[in-house]
Amino acid sequence: MPDGSFAHPQQRQFNPYTDNGGTILAIAGADFTVIAGDTRQSEGYSIQTRYAPKVFRLTDRAVLAVNGFAADGNMFVKKVKQRLEWYRHAHAKDMPLRAIARLIQTMLYAQRFFPYYVYNILGGIEEDGSGAVYSFDPVGSYEREACRAAGAAQSLVQPFLDNQIYFKNQKAAPGTSHPTHLPLSDVLSIVIDSFTSATERHIEVGDGLEIYVVVARGRSPQGIEGIRGVQELSAQPNGDRTFILRRELKKD
Amino acid sequence: MDHFPTNWGRPRNDAFDAYGTYPIHQRAPVKDTFAEGVQHTQQPIVTGTSVLAIQYKDGIMMAADNLASYGSLARFKDVRRLHAVGTSTVIGASGDMSDFQAIQSILDDLVTDEFTHGDGHDLGPAEVHEYLSRVMYARRSKINPLWNSLLVGGFRDGKRFLGYVDLLGTTYSAPSIATGYGAYIAIPLLRAAVDGKQDQLTEENAKKILHECMRVLFYRDARSLDKYQIATVSAAGVTISDQIQIETAWGFAEGIRGYGAQTQ
Amino acid sequence: MFLTRSEYDRGVNTFSPEGRLFQVEYAIEAIKLGSTTVGVRTPEGVVLGVEKRVQSPLLESSSIEKIMEIDRHLGCAMSGLTADARTMIDHARVTAQNHAFTYDEQIKVESVTQAVCDLALRFGESVHDEDAMMSRPFGVALLIAGIDELGPQLFHTDPSGTFVRYDAKAIGSGSEAAQSELQDKWHKQMTLQEAQILVLRVLKQVMEEKLDHHNVQLAQVTPTGGFEILDEVRLKEIVDIM
Repeated sequence: MPDGSFAHPQQRQFNPYTDNGGTILAIAGADFTVIAGDTRQSEGYSIQTRYAPKVFRLTDRAVLAVNGFAADGNMFVKKVKQRLEWYRHAHAKDMPLRAIARLIQTMLYAQRFFPYYVYNILGGIEEDGSGAVYSFDPVGSYEREACRAAGAAQSLVQPFLDNQIYFKNQKAAPGTSHPTHLPLSDVLSIVIDSFTSATERHIEVGDGLEIYVVVARGRSPQGIEGIRGVQELSAQPNGDRTFILRRELKKD
Repeated sequence: MDHFPTNWGRPRNDAFDAYGTYPIHQRAPVKDTFAEGVQHTQQPIVTGTSVLAIQYKDGIMMAADNLASYGSLARFKDVRRLHAVGTSTVIGASGDMSDFQAIQSILDDLVTDEFTHGDGHDLGPAEVHEYLSRVMYARRSKINPLWNSLLVGGFRDGKRFLGYVDLLGTTYSAPSIATGYGAYIAIPLLRAAVDGKQDQLTEENAKKILHECMRVLFYRDARSLDKYQIATVSAAGVTISDQIQIETAWGFAEGIRGYGAQTQ
Repeated sequence: MFLTRSEYDRGVNTFSPEGRLFQVEYAIEAIKLGSTTVGVRTPEGVVLGVEKRVQSPLLESSSIEKIMEIDRHLGCAMSGLTADARTMIDHARVTAQNHAFTYDEQIKVESVTQAVCDLALRFGESVHDEDAMMSRPFGVALLIAGIDELGPQLFHTDPSGTFVRYDAKAIGSGSEAAQSELQDKWHKQMTLQEAQILVLRVLKQVMEEKLDHHNVQLAQVTPTGGFEILDEVRLKEIVDIM
């Protein structure tokens, strides 16, 4: 080619997508949900910024984590928020979690032939007061689960969660059984450990960690208020409550 | 951030002309211009290299050299890649210069429209950045991108702003940002000097840091020039400097095999 | 009221100097010619009842359709130009299904009522490239009954696109007498059966013919059964105890 020959002209066309790394994670408790994501945004081997949030509060009881192509992610969150506001005006209430989940499916599938290159995890409190996690693929397939990791370090974190949340490959001590739901402090430890481990082993994960905790109305926040650096985001403490917890991750 | 604008927005392909040496005007000849219908931008033509920007005590500072390259040819050596938008914002562009000039006129029209409304609103750096990212994302979504990486910086209402947006619509903010080759060469230097110290950094020091980075870039980036400008935005408004000459010393090269005259 | 007819009578999109839209007001009048329709809300559910005017012994009374389903949790009774109601109910059904598809939940009673009323004011001239729209206001009023997270509800809509929520409401030719009777007899803790009987008694009072299970129709929306039109057997049972 540099010699002037052009035997096989290559078609090199514009690629409208890129991968901006990072990892997100959500775990549902009995009456709370934890949704977390790191704050690094990268392209290739370059760190673009150490602080670009991937987790967004949608309503008093819903939090959305978005991972993949950052431009699509930001646009998608913007459009979801817009739809939530329209819904509030039309129906005089906040959209329930499972309705948001279905809405996200229809919005993603509407772009089936030019998809938003994003993996979504929606967490929050269901109408019956239970903690819930919904996970999506880029074109809208979704299901409700107890926990889910997505993004760059999904393959590192999900097996860990399978073991720690679903107790896969664990045998309960004789005469006992595995709990169906873990207490908040255990869940927070698992989340933080997941991210410190992913930071160690994955170059696209690190810098900062943002953990959102949504606690169902009238349920105990299980001492989260006492944790260092916790900030409450909810306006009134007698409804569902949302807390945010920030932690540093290694920056190398 | 790849330092060859030609590779931006493309899948990585080291097998094909990895160093951008193949002349643009000899790429895949098209016999019938309209054979494939209306063509969108497939590659940048006349390109600008890195833009650097940092936050400092009183606002932000941005630097870009005055070169516009045609492939590996240093084609235009007096090009302005920093542009003031309104009274509190500056943008800097790398990538395709004709697309950048289109962006300049879009933004100038926007500022004029906003002014003629006379309603007391004017666009600050955050608004310009948001608008630009909307434009860039809309164009990439039409598979007809504006082939640029842009930095938007400014100072308004006592707050500084520094943001990035590129041909894919990707955005972010950070205390120090660089596009192109600068993302490899200058960012490590800038992060060490700036990040976490934005509130202490004086204008003089900020200028010194950028100057040093521009010098390093001129030494290392084959598509750069030793002539650049610095834009400063603070409470005092936008100032874009005259051209600054980078002093270089190449004497060290004499002794390096492969650089100077070979004495066997 | 209508002694001073003027050129403002005709245009559906021209206000009279007194600030009135006569065609809309006439449309509201048209409802008063329709058969009497009654709705009653109770904590156990909502009951709808209509009078079927069987004008001829040759008429098949079961073919008169004045109560219709919108969704499993929503029903609707009408009075006035019942043909117009088809357009509105079609729209309500599509709106309800769209909502269920997009949000995986049943639409609220008020939301579906709002959607129907949005349609009511789309008369007049069409805008630029839009298809020709309706040339006159709807000549029908609806009683929309349903249950959602706010409990059993009853809404009344009229041709002006106004909607109001009621505990009990009568529309149509006998509505004035029926409404005052409802005001007398309705109370907060009514059972569903009491409501069924109240609806029939009110209808009986304003009907010229003797009420039987052929010339009235009853429907209800309950938390367990959703919307259901009572068949003649169940209707007869209620007529008998009335």
